[in-house]
Amino acid sequence: MHDGSGLIAVQNLTKQFGPVTAVQNLSFTVSPGSVTGFLGPNGAGKTTTLRMLLGLVKPTGGTATINGRPFHQLGQPGRVVGAVLEAQGFHPARSARNHLRVYAAAIGVPDAQADQVLGLVGLGSAADRKVGGFSLGMKQRLALATALLGDPQVLVLDEPANGLDPEGIAWLRTFLQSYARMGRTVLISSHLLAEVEQTVDQVVIISRGQTMFYGPLEQLRQSQQRRVLVQPSDLNALATALRAEGVQAIEQLPDGRLAVSGVDSKQVADSALRAGVSIYGIQEEQVDLERLFFQLTSGQYAGYAPAPAPFKQQGGWA
Amino acid sequence: MGNLVQAELRKTTTTGLWWGLLIPTAVLALGWGLATGLLGQFFVDFASTSDVDDVSDFLGVTPDQWKVSLFGIARAINISTIFPMVFGAMAVSGEINRRTITTTFLTSPSRMHAMLAKMLVYVLWGAIYGLVIMLFIAVGVVFTSDSGQLPDAGGWAMLTLVCVLSSILMTMLGVGVGALIPNVAGTVVLLLLYFLVIENVLHLVLAYLEVPSVIGFLPNGSINGLTGSVAVDLFLSSAGVVPPEIEDVLRAIAGAGGALDWWWSGLVFLAWSGVVFAGGWAVTQSKDIT
Repeated sequence: MHDGSGLIAVQNLTKQFGPVTAVQNLSFTVSPGSVTGFLGPNGAGKTTTLRMLLGLVKPTGGTATINGRPFHQLGQPGRVVGAVLEAQGFHPARSARNHLRVYAAAIGVPDAQADQVLGLVGLGSAADRKVGGFSLGMKQRLALATALLGDPQVLVLDEPANGLDPEGIAWLRTFLQSYARMGRTVLISSHLLAEVEQTVDQVVIISRGQTMFYGPLEQLRQSQQRRVLVQPSDLNALATALRAEGVQAIEQLPDGRLAVSGVDSKQVADSALRAGVSIYGIQEEQVDLERLFFQLTSGQYAGYAPAPAPFKQQGGWA
Repeated sequence: MGNLVQAELRKTTTTGLWWGLLIPTAVLALGWGLATGLLGQFFVDFASTSDVDDVSDFLGVTPDQWKVSLFGIARAINISTIFPMVFGAMAVSGEINRRTITTTFLTSPSRMHAMLAKMLVYVLWGAIYGLVIMLFIAVGVVFTSDSGQLPDAGGWAMLTLVCVLSSILMTMLGVGVGALIPNVAGTVVLLLLYFLVIENVLHLVLAYLEVPSVIGFLPNGSINGLTGSVAVDLFLSSAGVVPPEIEDVLRAIAGAGGALDWWWSGLVFLAWSGVVFAGGWAVTQSKDIT
């Protein structure tokens, strides 16, 4: 049986759909106690990877395990891992409560659990309504309720924010973080870093089926050097003063400011004071994660900028 | 396994499909039952007033003692069990169509467990459909037939047994085909076309080629043989000595032309269901659920 570690391990995972390589030699691990973001543009292979982890798609090569076991060896998987997947269906004529009771029976938990998870996701008042009349956001909540039925140690969510209103997203964020704080494992995929930036502790960024970055979000932030943008009264005097203090990474920006890397604004201001240079403006550049993310993942389906229309010659009529 | 069976059972009882198909099943069975009685009565009246001494001699009883209702009952069972087959056909194909199969597999120890639990639940539904079919046929037949044309208690018991068996087997075949062709419309159309048209044409061809014995080994031929052979056996048991030529005619009327003994027919059809289910299982087992 599984080892109960709550560890997700993906090793050299590869999936080939005919001539298309959806996932190529992907490796990462997800530990309990934190929320891990699984990021990549649409079509990067996120969904395929998660479905391989959940035993729904057979890998061409490599392994994906939960608690040290492939999905089909988990015994009663519903008690180990809960999943919210895209395109997970509901029978439109079945009520939310009946839907949950079907799977409560399959997992082997008491029927009372169905009402409990309905309350947890805020669908208590819609329990007896048919799912066919649910909004996208309600269906997403019901999918989460289904995933929580077996009180699983590991939670896997594929683009869970789809269809949720801002209030729902905020609620989901808090919910997932507290779930992880209980020592459980949460893996959540998204094609937008900004969407999960405040939720996740770690990220796995993939593009074209391959891992581009894997580690704590903080590490990703630090990988981009912070710069101080300063507008002095005398560019050369400040640059000389900084160089004299051993700061080498100085460049002049097109707008006439200096960009200084590897120092903070206080240090730059002090140098300016000592050199007798006035400062008209100073600013620490914010780390733009979204730009980093874009750099890491760009190029998969890069389009071309539209070519400027050629100048049309007027003439022929007087 | 018990958990999964309960889950599958809940799946079938929490939507309206089971009664949505059971109502037309009951109506069809009742209609065939009524028609059987009326046609039988008409035939017996006709035979009694005509010069049919020869036939009476063959059968050793007078026309009003012929249990003609047996043939209609066998036919009624065959046609009514189309519905439980369609019900079974939706079991897997419906889940794939609505994408609920994802959650089913996520909450099941293996796909094999899920498929077996489904099969067990649909066997139960097949039996329920079979009992309802027999009940409504019986009501129709009894309402329109003279008591002389009706089977005795043992006959009713035997017919009920083969009706339930036939309904279970047809449901199982439906489940298998639904897993093999994971498309609701495709599955249902194929099954209906095959059972109502294709194999009937095949029977004519085989009869023309003078190899009617092959019919008993085909799916529709064997499932008809299960009920038809019992009907013919019951008819003959009260009719005395019958020459083989007449027996062949009687078998054809019962829809069991070229068929084997009833239990052999049942085994042949069970084998068909098994092969189809194994195929559907293999397809489902290796399928990427995307």
